[in-house]
Amino acid sequence: MNHMERAMAALTNEPVDHLPAYPIACGVNRNLLPGNVTYHEWCTNPKLFADAFVAGHKYYDFDFAIGLMDLSVMAGDLGAHVRMDEENTPFVDKHIIHSVEDYEKLEVPDIKKGRSGVILEGTKIFAEKLKGEVITAGFLEGPLLALTQTAGAERVFMDMFTNPSAVHAGLKTMTDYDAQMVEAFGKTGANGLCWDYLWANYSCLGDKEYHEFEGSDKYAAKLNRMTVENGMALCIHNCADMPHLDTQVKEFKPVIYSMAYYPLIPGSPSASEVIEKGYADNCLIGGNIDPQFFIRATPEKISKVTQDLCQEVKTALCKRGLNSRYCVASGCEVPPDIGTKKENIKAVVDTTKKYGVVKC
Amino acid sequence: MKVSQIAGFLGSGKTSALMKIASRLVEQGNRIAIIVNDVGEISIDSRFVEANGLEAKEISGGCICCQIAGSFAETLAKLHDSFNPNIVIVEPSGVAIPWGLKRAAEYSEVKADMIVEHAPVITLVDASRIDMLLKAVRRLVETQIREADVCFVNKVDVATPQGIATTEEFIRSINERAEIAHMSTTTGEGIDLACEVIVNRISPRYDDSMEEERLRSQYGKKGGN
Repeated sequence: MNHMERAMAALTNEPVDHLPAYPIACGVNRNLLPGNVTYHEWCTNPKLFADAFVAGHKYYDFDFAIGLMDLSVMAGDLGAHVRMDEENTPFVDKHIIHSVEDYEKLEVPDIKKGRSGVILEGTKIFAEKLKGEVITAGFLEGPLLALTQTAGAERVFMDMFTNPSAVHAGLKTMTDYDAQMVEAFGKTGANGLCWDYLWANYSCLGDKEYHEFEGSDKYAAKLNRMTVENGMALCIHNCADMPHLDTQVKEFKPVIYSMAYYPLIPGSPSASEVIEKGYADNCLIGGNIDPQFFIRATPEKISKVTQDLCQEVKTALCKRGLNSRYCVASGCEVPPDIGTKKENIKAVVDTTKKYGVVKC
Repeated sequence: MKVSQIAGFLGSGKTSALMKIASRLVEQGNRIAIIVNDVGEISIDSRFVEANGLEAKEISGGCICCQIAGSFAETLAKLHDSFNPNIVIVEPSGVAIPWGLKRAAEYSEVKADMIVEHAPVITLVDASRIDMLLKAVRRLVETQIREADVCFVNKVDVATPQGIATTEEFIRSINERAEIAHMSTTTGEGIDLACEVIVNRISPRYDDSMEEERLRSQYGKKGGN
């Protein structure tokens, strides 16, 4: 099977030659480009952004390409100050919400400018270059994540209780911003759009609060619908320790759901639990190798971890009567650090090819 | 280098406690650095930092555990190389997961020639407004308590006896193994104990705990062959 055949089969629960593999390697792929491209250059230059995904696909033999940049793109374009070191993931170091009134002052920026423009243009380039070779997707921060990046998470969580109308005002602007981005991503040629709805996490919000502040038809549900209406498959990434699986998988109905696993946190769902509880019945689940293994483990160690994950997944798929519907991936982005070992990324893909053959 | 976490939700008194504790630890001859994640309403005063011979860094924009783990590790490694503290006190965001922060701290070992060890995780719970916190951010407070080694019932000088009792009962219902103590940065109660916890006690490394969990799930037992 080629990449497209394998990915399409896994998406539709058809038999696969082996499980698909996609360690979420994004910024780290810049190390494959000529000329020692820095993180700063990669995340501000659409051509370099795109070329890195193409190079990553060719070098590692990935089955997907998802255009994650970082989680400060929207906040930065809204006016928050983003600290951008040469080789680190950029992050907001100065929020722009300092009072309840400030939520009302947020305005959707010009999405053709700033790093919103970079990610849109870069996604268009790599979607064109990888067309027909792998499934491609853009990546976008959900409204609540974008608001917490802009205002500070603790503030937003307190304001949800003390000043909910202000938070809703902020979320409306974020949703309008996201809506413009969805329409623009729809024109890039990407096959899908991957949402980061980070706060669908029982460690932070219950079902009622999550529904009020993101899950409802005013916000995420509306944006999910728009994603499909704009010709893209709905994908969701959530690296929470205790994700809202019923809402995000059963209610939102994404075709791909990417998730992490925290073995030391009671209640964090393992791959086999997710499959056994039916979440892979209608959705391709991606997960769940610890991202820090890519820096700190040896290739032998990460191969063993991958082999164990393949075995766990295959057993659970067979028990559930499924043929595929699992992609071996990292639980969150492979650290874009210069210390990340290429051979570890390669080891995950190669081990999946060898041990990801599903025979029930 | 020892990494100490002082967790607690916005307004729990983390920053004031951290400054008192850091100041006391410096008096005891320690070399202290501070990292603040997702700064709240009160920042660490630069005059305080200078007067106490500390080094302070702010890192923001998300949770240390995940989105900015790389930047956090880089900050720790740079602190080691430039200032060489024996203790780094981290004031994590109220939404950070203590295990995730431990993992991110150990990640810095690939960036500098050092071994990270962890002080017990300290969580502060504001007894003066426990009822409001339980209504507003109950899940976040529960998560911080669940992963704490020592919980300090904070602001006991202004909290009512009922508020203190409710806070202790709540902590016990979430985390039976956590040690519970009282703190007031106004009277100084609990500051010496917090320093003793940070200097003399150790909390398990993420790596070791993961390996133990792997063996447990594979062989149904802890550690061993």
